[in-house]
Amino acid sequence: MIELDNVSKQFDGPAVLAGVTARIRRGEIFTVIGPSGSGKSTLLRLIDLLDSPTGGTIRVNGTDIHANGEESLRIRRMMGMVFQKPAVFNTTVTENVAVGLRFRGAEERVVREKVEEALAMVGLADYGERRARTLSGGEMQRVALARAMVIEPEILLMDEPTANLDPVSVEKIEELVLRINRDLGTTILFSTHDMYQGQRLAHRVGVLMNGIFAQVGTPREVFTLPATREVARFVGIENIIDGVVVAENGISVIDAGGIRIRARSPLSRGEQVALCIRSEDLRVFLEEGGKTHLNGNTLPGTVASIVPRGPFSRVTVDCGFALSSVLSWKAVDNLGIREGSRVTVSFAAESVHVIRQE
Amino acid sequence: MIFMVRRTLFAVAAVMVAFLLICGCTGTTSDPTPVEKQQLRIATTTSLYDTKLLDHLTPIFEEKYNAEVLIVSAGTGKALEYGQRGDVDVMMVHDRAREDTFLADGYGTDRRVFAYNYFVLVGPESDPANVSGMAPEAAFTAIREKGMAGDASVIFVSRGDASGTHSKEQAIWKAAGFNYSAEVKGSGDWYQEAGTGMGATLEMANEKEAYTLSDIGTYLAYKGNLDLVTIVDEGDILLNVYSAMQINPEKFPDINSSVAKDWVNFMISDEIQQEIASFGVDQYGQPLFYAAQNDWEKIGVTEAEVKNPVV
Amino acid sequence: MYEIIEGFLEAARLIATFDGDVMGIAARSIIISLTATVLATLIAVPLGAAIYFGTFPGKKSLINLIQTLYSLPTVIVGLLIFLLISRVGPFGFMRLLFTPTAMVIAQTVLVLPIMTGLTISALSGVDPVIRDTLRSLGATHLQFLVNIMKEARFAILAAVAIGFGRAISEVGAAILVGGNIMASSFASSTRVLTTAISLETSMGNISQSIALGIVLLAIALAVNLVITTIQHR
Repeated sequence: MIELDNVSKQFDGPAVLAGVTARIRRGEIFTVIGPSGSGKSTLLRLIDLLDSPTGGTIRVNGTDIHANGEESLRIRRMMGMVFQKPAVFNTTVTENVAVGLRFRGAEERVVREKVEEALAMVGLADYGERRARTLSGGEMQRVALARAMVIEPEILLMDEPTANLDPVSVEKIEELVLRINRDLGTTILFSTHDMYQGQRLAHRVGVLMNGIFAQVGTPREVFTLPATREVARFVGIENIIDGVVVAENGISVIDAGGIRIRARSPLSRGEQVALCIRSEDLRVFLEEGGKTHLNGNTLPGTVASIVPRGPFSRVTVDCGFALSSVLSWKAVDNLGIREGSRVTVSFAAESVHVIRQE
Repeated sequence: MIFMVRRTLFAVAAVMVAFLLICGCTGTTSDPTPVEKQQLRIATTTSLYDTKLLDHLTPIFEEKYNAEVLIVSAGTGKALEYGQRGDVDVMMVHDRAREDTFLADGYGTDRRVFAYNYFVLVGPESDPANVSGMAPEAAFTAIREKGMAGDASVIFVSRGDASGTHSKEQAIWKAAGFNYSAEVKGSGDWYQEAGTGMGATLEMANEKEAYTLSDIGTYLAYKGNLDLVTIVDEGDILLNVYSAMQINPEKFPDINSSVAKDWVNFMISDEIQQEIASFGVDQYGQPLFYAAQNDWEKIGVTEAEVKNPVV
Repeated sequence: MYEIIEGFLEAARLIATFDGDVMGIAARSIIISLTATVLATLIAVPLGAAIYFGTFPGKKSLINLIQTLYSLPTVIVGLLIFLLISRVGPFGFMRLLFTPTAMVIAQTVLVLPIMTGLTISALSGVDPVIRDTLRSLGATHLQFLVNIMKEARFAILAAVAIGFGRAISEVGAAILVGGNIMASSFASSTRVLTTAISLETSMGNISQSIALGIVLLAIALAVNLVITTIQHR
């Protein structure tokens, strides 16, 4: 459907996109996640022909969209776009939604029908005569969505559409995105800096970092098997430990500053690696209550800090390197640990994701 | 509150539109015969306008000749400029010397003298230069002397606008033996140029308690608002002669020559000469202008110039 | 002080009784300045749009020049138009000097820069996201242009109102090319509020001046009210 082939874009200064390559399939929701300033908006603008790439090609249904200026209007009319900042035309809600249809010269009767339908879809059926400028940010963004969808685009581009909205509005927009994709089969390209939103919505996720897709995969792949240290950091893996593979025997043994960790990995001896361990996968025991994990890791250490985090506490244990675990308050109380307590930390070899360091 | 503002605004807009419609209608209905009605453009010296003499005479002319008179009031200098550019049909000015040049250069033709009066030196009642009753030349000399000596109470306000009155003032300085541009203009704080019309200059002199030269007509017309009194009003040099002439149609072919001639002849007609002689008498107790018709010898012009109609 | 109070009382009487002279002058002022504003709008808005949307060398300098001309002195405009339409000038054959038409021309020229400049500002004031949205909705060049203008319509209206305010309140050009003529027919006269105030004041008719001044202020106030309402939308 959309093929990004080594797409780059440079304004005055360093390159924003430095060779983005990916394929977005028909009918999928593809979220582009990445930190602010990573080029998400630029990428979506290139696809919507609002900017031209400095290098590489973007193909939609096999056509290089930037190759032929005369084709650009036709290609752009296959797409709808919703922007980060809610922006509406200074007129009624109905007229806002009708704009795209009017551009295409639709008959008044058709316009009326479709606008009504679109407004009903986004839950603004009774708002037609209201002046769009008087709506809340969330409502404006739903008008923007209706405005983009009323032209029945094959591709819907959404550039951080919920970044400025309250949680209730975010939820509504997300619901709509899922419904549009399910009911109409629209291919949706959705950018966000909120990795959890990316995970919730996406069939597939692209992690945009330093101007390239550091990883493209299903949410599960990206969140459990990050391809690089940076992706691991971005998707919220708190424990990332550097080491080197010292033994391989079905289960690799990695030396991390003198401490040995077992992990499942196909890598061979001598490889420099980074180990990713999700804090949820760590267990903490008082020293005396600790039991060895079969084929796993049991590391002694001292509690360095206990920091409240929502309904949980983040317990950081110094085992030679820092390991952070997340425990409920109750668990912390039951264990009776405090800063300075001697504890053991245990986790399975399967919980360790090994990334080869370049 | 917003609602009220909107309503007010709407009302204002509605009134303005209605107003415009009415005006637009009256505007169009009032000139259904512009084709027949001839337009006469006159550039006049301010004294004839500010005294309302022309306001008094034009309706009579308009009715008699079925014409419309458009009057641009300016100093004689500006009026001559308009005439030289062919922007008016008739000029009414009061500066013999410059008129002669204007005629000689072929810009104007058929000059007729229709009125005269006298310039007066007016000033504050206290008369700080102590020149009351002197001959004009002597009075000017004394004012300059006191002014140059640094007496701050002695100020002379000049029209300074190349008008007929300004010309006359310069002529008096010259007659008193001074080089105007070297010894008078810019010679000190005592001599100030207003650069404006007679009425405004009188108002200025009044504010500053200064002397100024004025035609008697404008002075009388403004006297009610002023504290200035007549200081010097006798002397041949104070004679002020008003004439009308048409712009030379040979130079500017689309000048409205026939109406222009009508106007010049109208001004020297018996009827209008009487109007001029009596104008302002009931209001000021004395005439603002004298009719030229029978005093041609006194004012030193030919009989033909006051009596012979232009053909 | 007494003079001022008396002036105001007389002014109130002149206005309340719809004094023919005062109303005639006011009406002429509005007609002339409104005509000039409409003409200037017809030129300035397309011109401003052309400059704003166009790409050509010297665009920035041109916009700078236009902004400098905001403060174009009215007498200079008056003088320029006078020289052009005076009998010996290049357009003298049209015999426009000392006519309301000449005043309309002068005021049009006078307000063109500010209206063009404010049109450009109005268009630059449109949110960039609105631009992107229009393009993303598949607007053709023309549709894009029309819709950007639509978005800027209130700011453009404000520009028009400001132009009208400048036109009706100027005196320098009006007196130079109009001549401050009070003829017997409405259409031939060129006396407007500002030139009348100037004349009446020089003739010492303070109450007449104040009455005319109040009418002018009322018109300016109405214009300002329009501008504020527009800008608060």
